[in-house]
Amino acid sequence: MNPPATGRSLGLLVCLQCHATVRALQVPHPRCPRCRAHLFQRKRHSLALTAALLLCAAILYVPANLLPVMYTDTIFDEERDTIMSGVLVLLHSGSWPIAVLVFIASIVVPLLKIVSLSVVLFSAWRRSPRYRTQRSELFRMVEFIGRWSMLDVYAISLLVALVQIRSLAFVAVGWGALAFAAVVVLTQFAARTFDERLLWETPP
Amino acid sequence: MPVIVCPSCDLAHRTAMERASERTRCARCQASLQRPENGSIDTAIALSIAALVLFLLSNAYPLVAIQTNGSTRSTTLVGAALGFYRQDHAGLAALVFITTVVGPFLQIAGLLYLLIPLRRKQQAPGQTTVFRLLALVRPWTFIEVFMLGALVALVRVAAYARVLPGVALWSCALLMLTLAALTSRTSPGQFWRWVEGSEA
Repeated sequence: MNPPATGRSLGLLVCLQCHATVRALQVPHPRCPRCRAHLFQRKRHSLALTAALLLCAAILYVPANLLPVMYTDTIFDEERDTIMSGVLVLLHSGSWPIAVLVFIASIVVPLLKIVSLSVVLFSAWRRSPRYRTQRSELFRMVEFIGRWSMLDVYAISLLVALVQIRSLAFVAVGWGALAFAAVVVLTQFAARTFDERLLWETPP
Repeated sequence: MPVIVCPSCDLAHRTAMERASERTRCARCQASLQRPENGSIDTAIALSIAALVLFLLSNAYPLVAIQTNGSTRSTTLVGAALGFYRQDHAGLAALVFITTVVGPFLQIAGLLYLLIPLRRKQQAPGQTTVFRLLALVRPWTFIEVFMLGALVALVRVAAYARVLPGVALWSCALLMLTLAALTSRTSPGQFWRWVEGSEA
């Protein structure tokens, strides 16, 4: 069976910004004739960049979950909340649907993202010919759900802005929030630098 | 027959000369390849104007106020970012500000800048630059995530204090829906179809 005709085999480039298909010209820095975006056969240094960003995200995932994201001072006591204890507070206050939501968005999604991107990255690097469609779909799902993990950062931002009644209650930001936000941003960038087409490269 | 290449797996497809009348998917990786793209530019402009008004309302009025023992405190959308800034977390403040204020604003303003001249068969100066700026900003608009985050924060505060939703909370919810409708109607493919229509 002949290998399928691809953009690369036909000398065609596809613009990732406007999806125009363009004949590849032998010029140093080709640009899309329609939207003037830079054209690449494949995103440059895709695997290395994605791996580096992913590694940083995986390292920061530890402090993001261990360090307090928020300190609450009330006249009665002082509380330090990590992401997980925040979920437990919601659970005990009776709003379990919200607790489940935060648990999925803040704990499951970032972990799923790091694991899925690692799987996809590893199989692109190995040029593994199996389960390509599933991996491609996995990658697109990660890209789609990734943004939802910002949820906790916004919740903290509002609590910090609102609960500043010094005599009664005071909320301060913890370094865990910064680490957590960094995990979300780094994994978003890791998904952007990854070139999906590397999953479909024919093995040598 | 024209050839199009799948941006997700590089497979080349032959297509008919006329526009796809329904959504097509890549034969190999199942990524979405073509959409019908026959939307009206008037609808897109109307949605952009509605989004702009909702965006201004969302920033002009308080989002939410809390009441405890007679003292009231409220915050706006920008106030959420400022809270981080006041506690010396400028990075977090910038992240919240960019994803909830700058991102939506650039998206709405950029679309209006491109679409209003296109409706009169003209092209805005710097059209390609603004288009690429929009493509850059689009993935960093997180209004819908912010709304859900606000809900979580309010549930937590409700345990201590009375929560009074402000005008901006409602306008923000409407902005979220308007932006979703606008984004699906102004895909890159659709935009360039309008541009080609203005050249013809």
